[in-house]
Amino acid sequence: MVIFDQVTKHFGGLPVVDPPFDLTIRDGEFVVFLGPSGCGKSTLMRMVAGLETPSTGGIFIDGERIAKPGRDRGMVFQSYSSFPWLTVAQNVAFGMKYRDDLSGPQKQERLRHYLALVGLSDFADMFPNRVSGGMRQRIAIARTLAAGSGILLMDEPFGALDAQRREGLQVQLRRIQQAEAKTVIFVTHDVDEAAFLADRVIVFSNRPARALADVNVAALFGAERSLALRDESDFFALRTDLLHRVRAAAEELH
Amino acid sequence: MSALFAFRAPLSRRATVIIALSTSLVTLVLWEASVRFGLVNATFLPPPSIVLATLWQMVVGGHLLWQAGVSSLRVWVAFLLATIMAVPLGIMMSSFRPIGAALEPIVDFIRYLPVPALVPLSIIWFGVGEETKIFLLWLGTFFQLVLLVSDDMRRVPQEYVEIAYTLGASPLKMLQDVAFQAMLPSLFDHLRVTLGWCWTYLIIAEIVAADSGLGFVIWAARRYMETPKVMAGVVTIGLIGLVTDQVLRQLHRRLFRYL
Repeated sequence: MVIFDQVTKHFGGLPVVDPPFDLTIRDGEFVVFLGPSGCGKSTLMRMVAGLETPSTGGIFIDGERIAKPGRDRGMVFQSYSSFPWLTVAQNVAFGMKYRDDLSGPQKQERLRHYLALVGLSDFADMFPNRVSGGMRQRIAIARTLAAGSGILLMDEPFGALDAQRREGLQVQLRRIQQAEAKTVIFVTHDVDEAAFLADRVIVFSNRPARALADVNVAALFGAERSLALRDESDFFALRTDLLHRVRAAAEELH
Repeated sequence: MSALFAFRAPLSRRATVIIALSTSLVTLVLWEASVRFGLVNATFLPPPSIVLATLWQMVVGGHLLWQAGVSSLRVWVAFLLATIMAVPLGIMMSSFRPIGAALEPIVDFIRYLPVPALVPLSIIWFGVGEETKIFLLWLGTFFQLVLLVSDDMRRVPQEYVEIAYTLGASPLKMLQDVAFQAMLPSLFDHLRVTLGWCWTYLIIAEIVAADSGLGFVIWAARRYMETPKVMAGVVTIGLIGLVTDQVLRQLHRRLFRYL
């Protein structure tokens, strides 16, 4: 369980997250932070990663306050998400580089498993510059899974991909998240992506970030998501609803 | 023709080689001809044929290769010394801002001092032996290299650093396994450029105070107006530079296939 308790963040006196932010994320929940670009939603996620510290308040995982980065929380970035000097397999294996609890054969077995899970087994010995942008994001996902992270923190991971690739990866990500029972915090400004992926969508205001709405998507669509969902009228309705909320947030004046 | 000269038009490898060789050859022919037809005085500008013949004589009959070896050794010793010191320091300067803040003004100041201006001081300190030459070369490269290395490290994407940390790397492991790996290609390039500067400073050092090396050969030949020998010495340096640079470029291509 991830708990944001009265969290604020200021950079050099400027508020990024304010008033205090509260949120409880259950284990295995897929939560999307949706809001205008630069609103501060990424900062909230980076605080979960331990890459930033809250100015006031705290973030707790299973009752323990987050003080620094750790393997239990894996990051997937939009760009520079894999190391160019390592092959696909070496990149995924890098997730286990600092795990002394695993033996060599165990690492090999996990590597095989996660390469297959994200569909990269045939590309294992290629360098990232030879594979597509979508595959590079799958490398990053497999790396965090191999590391054993229970919580995946994803910062607009599909933002640079074309629409078809993005749809494919969304289906795949949702399937993996369900199969591996992972908690996901996913930051995006794409309304369609939020509606398709999330169990819950938190809509944010312009900077400083403030939660405007907490939309329960799981209650509407359940856990299984397939491409067919995109053709349903409920999906359109939710998308329109979220779109109006984000538009209102973006046009809001301070 | 217009297709060849379209803005940023691609050029095949074959065409590149042909064009490069032709301009070099035409230059040589023009040079040779202008001396043969008496347009310039051969005493001041000997033709390439004479320079080449002299070069060959110096290789066979003189000690040119030995002299070139002495110069190369000086360059490499000073270059390695500068590298060993500049790489860790440059990395620390950009990784830990207090160290950067402390050293940047000093490095920036010394970096702009022209090496020839420090020759007298260097002779007072170290005499006219090997130490002076190594010191001058080191002086000319170390302070430049420190800032280049520091820049290489600064350009490593923050994402790589954060990926390492979230996977459980300690700061030292992150530096070693990720940041250093990420900076290697540009570090290699900067080392290659720095090695070229070493040759510039070497000749200054050898002209001022030396009884061996290519700079000494050039300077000694000047005294007796042996222009072909002077030019042969210069050409030797050019050839060493050309070969070294090509070898290092190939090595770069091999080491960093993933780019």
